[in-house]
Amino acid sequence: MTFSSPLPSSSRAVIPLTAILLLALAVHGPLLLMQLPASSYDANTHMFFADHYAHHWFSPWNEKWFGGFSQTTYPPLAHQWVALFSHLLGLTYAYMVVQLIVILLLTVGIFRYAKLWVDERSASYATIAGVLLGSLALLVYQSGQLPNTMATAMALNALPYFYRWSRSSSGSALIKGVAVTLAGAAAHHVTLLFGFALFAWPVFALALIDRDREGKESSVAGVISRAAIFAAICGVLIAVVLLPYFIQTIQHPITQQPIPHGSRDNYLKNFLSGMNFWVIPYGTLILALPFIFTRGTRERRLRPLFFGWWLTAMIGLGGTTPVAPVLLHPGNAFNILTFERFTFWGTIMALPLVGLLAAELIDRYRTRAVVGLWIAAVFSCAMGVAWMTIKPINGSPFRVDQVIAFLNRDDHSKFRYITLGFGNQFDKVSTYANAGSVDGTYNSARLLPELTAYGSAQLYNAKYFGSAGMDSLRAVLKHANQYGLKYIFVRDRFYEPLLAFAGWRPAESYDNGNVTLWTKDDVPPAHKLEFGAAPPPAWQGLMWGILPVGASIFAVFAVLFLPDRRRFVEPLNFPAAATTAPEPVLREAK
Amino acid sequence: MIRNIGLALLMVVVTCLLLAVGYATSEGVNRSAGTPEGAVRSLYDHVRGRDWRGAMRYVAAASNTDERTFAKDVGGSDGSLRTFSTLQDIRTTVLHENDNDAMVRANTHWSSAVGSLYDTRDLHVIRENGDWKVIWPADKSPTAPPQVMAVNFLRWDIIHRAAGDDWASQDVAAPNARIMNMNALQHDLGNGLQGVMIVGEIENQDTVPAFVSVGATLIGKNGETLGEESSFDKISHTLLPKEVSPFRIDFPGVKLSDVKKVTMQPNALLVPASADPVIAVLHQRIETDARGHKLLKGELVNQSGETVNIPHVIATYYDDSGKPIWVSDGYVDHALEPQIPVPFAVDVRDDVGPNPKFRVTVNQYSIDRQGA
Amino acid sequence: MSAAGGTSRNRYGLAAALTALAMLMAHAAAAQQLRVPDHVVANAGATLTTSGDGSATFYLVGPGTALKREVKLGEAIELSGADLRNAGRYSAILKAGGNAQAASLLVAPAQPAAINFMARPSRVPVAAHDAISGVAFVFDDYKNLVTSPAQVTFNLAVGDAAPITRKVEAREGIAWTRLDSARKAGAAQFVASIGDTNVRRVVQQVASDPCGLRFHTAPAKNGVTVETDPVKDCSGNPVPDGTIVTFVETDGRTRSTVDARIKRGIAQAELPAVPGALITVASGVATGNEVRLGGGK
Repeated sequence: MTFSSPLPSSSRAVIPLTAILLLALAVHGPLLLMQLPASSYDANTHMFFADHYAHHWFSPWNEKWFGGFSQTTYPPLAHQWVALFSHLLGLTYAYMVVQLIVILLLTVGIFRYAKLWVDERSASYATIAGVLLGSLALLVYQSGQLPNTMATAMALNALPYFYRWSRSSSGSALIKGVAVTLAGAAAHHVTLLFGFALFAWPVFALALIDRDREGKESSVAGVISRAAIFAAICGVLIAVVLLPYFIQTIQHPITQQPIPHGSRDNYLKNFLSGMNFWVIPYGTLILALPFIFTRGTRERRLRPLFFGWWLTAMIGLGGTTPVAPVLLHPGNAFNILTFERFTFWGTIMALPLVGLLAAELIDRYRTRAVVGLWIAAVFSCAMGVAWMTIKPINGSPFRVDQVIAFLNRDDHSKFRYITLGFGNQFDKVSTYANAGSVDGTYNSARLLPELTAYGSAQLYNAKYFGSAGMDSLRAVLKHANQYGLKYIFVRDRFYEPLLAFAGWRPAESYDNGNVTLWTKDDVPPAHKLEFGAAPPPAWQGLMWGILPVGASIFAVFAVLFLPDRRRFVEPLNFPAAATTAPEPVLREAK
Repeated sequence: MIRNIGLALLMVVVTCLLLAVGYATSEGVNRSAGTPEGAVRSLYDHVRGRDWRGAMRYVAAASNTDERTFAKDVGGSDGSLRTFSTLQDIRTTVLHENDNDAMVRANTHWSSAVGSLYDTRDLHVIRENGDWKVIWPADKSPTAPPQVMAVNFLRWDIIHRAAGDDWASQDVAAPNARIMNMNALQHDLGNGLQGVMIVGEIENQDTVPAFVSVGATLIGKNGETLGEESSFDKISHTLLPKEVSPFRIDFPGVKLSDVKKVTMQPNALLVPASADPVIAVLHQRIETDARGHKLLKGELVNQSGETVNIPHVIATYYDDSGKPIWVSDGYVDHALEPQIPVPFAVDVRDDVGPNPKFRVTVNQYSIDRQGA
Repeated sequence: MSAAGGTSRNRYGLAAALTALAMLMAHAAAAQQLRVPDHVVANAGATLTTSGDGSATFYLVGPGTALKREVKLGEAIELSGADLRNAGRYSAILKAGGNAQAASLLVAPAQPAAINFMARPSRVPVAAHDAISGVAFVFDDYKNLVTSPAQVTFNLAVGDAAPITRKVEAREGIAWTRLDSARKAGAAQFVASIGDTNVRRVVQQVASDPCGLRFHTAPAKNGVTVETDPVKDCSGNPVPDGTIVTFVETDGRTRSTVDARIKRGIAQAELPAVPGALITVASGVATGNEVRLGGGK
């Protein structure tokens, strides 16, 4: 087989965004319809939050975890959209549909972001690579980070507006940029704090470089001041939209012990962490690293992008280099954050350069390049999805229906419960059971001293956190009577000795003996706990229910109905050919 | 050309430097046997990953042990607590060292199914073929000869009142368990934490087995609740008729002088139970270890025919008047095979006197005897 | 008990209120007459007579009963046993046109026919004073508490021993007694009876603390076997199997203990054979003899 035949002219054309969106739909649609994220690390957590909004839209106080916690500790936008769709589709499909919409928005965002740096053709190639990113596959299907992907999509869509406003003081760009940024901030706080900053400063530098391109005559001071205005407006509005979140954060700063996470490992010493958090997310982009280094540093206009990528990639390496531990030392951020999202952002930042590489390869090697690039891109995505099977995050499947049914009958919900060895199925139990638990999945919302004083995360995974986890579990069990903790569902016999020595007794078994219920008979019914957390006042619930989702709806309207640029009408003498002036180029406004 | 790629090269160099610094400064598996301490740490690093073959590379040939025996000794067997444990941390101290041999004390911290476990071993390290290797004494535990043991111990089952019975028909009454004696003390509860401790003994005075727990509430001088705690695992919960269990309830951070009243809440339930296993506690004596700490030592012998997976030793100490003054406990990380003595040691408070009166009871968890 | 009483009071209160209301209505119009019998027994049925002519609507409201019937004035109204099964006060109302007349009907319980018997505790040590209590609630066949005086017989018997019998007059449907437990262990049959009706409960009379605990030693392959004589309480009852007997061996330097279980009346254990060691035995608060190995008792 030879690949020397000349390419048709269409292969050098820009691939339309619509076609790329259809590709995204074709790749991710079936995977989401198969509910692949439902077994991911966090998807059930986000569904749990969404379920609460579906039933209590204006009341962010949720009694089901940690003996009671406020959902204002997590920006609500993604959860609220899932909650809205859940009334039509049910909770799980609502999550999948919102995730699919987010992937489509992300695709648009990557295209628009890439166009800032490279030509439209390269940008289209970059966008195709974006659809098939290994890091995206991992984030969606393994991590289940809907809010993160949503906020990233918003950030990517906001940046071109920020660029245009900074260069040309376009009012509509300012409004759209701020609106989309607000929606992104309302979806994910970590992306707001770190992602926006990492993405924005290279774009800001680009606006400075491009200040007098295409006939625009902007001064450095003008660009800086406009960028500052954009940031200030965003800052003020975000403070208003997420006010309950900031109040909660100030009242209850995260002071808990660091919880170990593989993304903080040195990937060179921990092979599995290296594979999971770097090799698989980057996929075949690794082959493009030499090009990224050489081209990114050579061209003045691409240097901000290169340095932005490099910094993000270095942080994404977690504990492999001293960059993340040093930069994120203040506030112990290194030990609070996880770094797979930085790798995700790094791979997105690399895409414009990868698009450029693809365009050059196709120009040089034609069909062979096309085939090779397709294989590389598909391999990246396939490995991202397949990694969940190669290194599964869950044990053998089991059913929790009987557990939920037990908790919902005969006043059992008067007591609290925990699960041991359930993994993320705990989230499902807590979503559908009426009883409350002292455990929970969202670590930052914990206030119980038995949970925050030890460096472990969820009780249901206690053994994986070593002594810290087991000591935390012991501490909770010691105070079972105070917490009304009567029921413990055990799916891992590892925990049975502790329960037996601590005074619990096996009572029932479910799922053909897979799950055993242990009870303690002298536990009184649960009562409201006094540990410093209190339900937010009603006005905060009202704000929380209106502003974030309102910001996203406003962003949709602004983008759809606010014209991008003023259209000039200039009369041309007929016959136009007679004129010596260059012909006006008619292009669709993007 | 050089100018074109100069910045790229610089960034590649910077990246490589950062990776190198990260590699040098981060923790990872120790693979050095250049020093006695290094050999011990390397051995335990492999134990942490349950890589017995890797660990055996640091065991001296003179140990005369094989991988299977080593794995059984370090990793546990027969569902013992060691099989439910992972090495969490190790601290080593060189006790003495010369050119060819050394003594290294390894203080290990294990994460186990019942909480943290601490172990101290003094390891003899020798130089073998230029590398330091650990002499790991081969575990020569005897095994019981093949035999048939007739088991005809009692078992109590309960028939509760049926749902259709008339309202006056009664259920079987709860067992009568009573706190025999107790004592409230101010003491260091461990980790330097001061607090109030309530120690005592509870007896099942009934003729049926009882599942007991003891809770206590400390009431302050103004009637306020100072603390509410339970005996948790410092008690044998299942008591056969006339069986006595010590209990200890800790109230960290509370001063005894602030306590006006103590309310005890003993709780007893009738539960199905079995009269086996019988565990004899032999050769109990108080000794002083190499660090100068007092230890209550002895041997446990499982006189039944079935393996006891996790024994739990609880010791009560009394003053001259017979009043309990301390309760200490410890989990034994070896399973009790039938008829095979297994040593145990629990800490003794230094101020209980030179020859304190004490009583040892044994609680146990057996995998095959649990279940819903 | 209190809940049941409360419900009963509510029923009477409701019936009284309805009667009062009906009587007020009857006062306004007395075109028809309704007469009820003075004494009605539960499930016996009753005949109510009416006067006047034309048709009327008859209502009967009582404990657990409410019925409505079209009747002809001047004819008798037959109420079946099923209509009057529950004892208590009923209100009968006859309504013709705009006029209504009411009467009150008191239904008494039938003859005692059933007993609900509470015996406490389910398990008691032998020879304990006033340790067993029995409470009997007397009902008729229709679950009506029989409040008229009735004699209840309580009978407590263990095995072949002579039973203890008490006759107690039930007041307001309740009779109770307290009895000593027997000296003999076993399942005591505690029976409450009234007429031909009796209800049986089982009170397990169990041995008390061991008494005169003694053991002896014998050489064994790996040490010394210690074995008690049959363990009995002070009344001579064998202490139940499974009871813990603790053997303690002290040799001045070390101590060995075994919590042995009584099996077929005897507790047995194996201890190290240490010459000169002292072995003691105890069960609960009871202590037994001592044996010094290699020495005298």
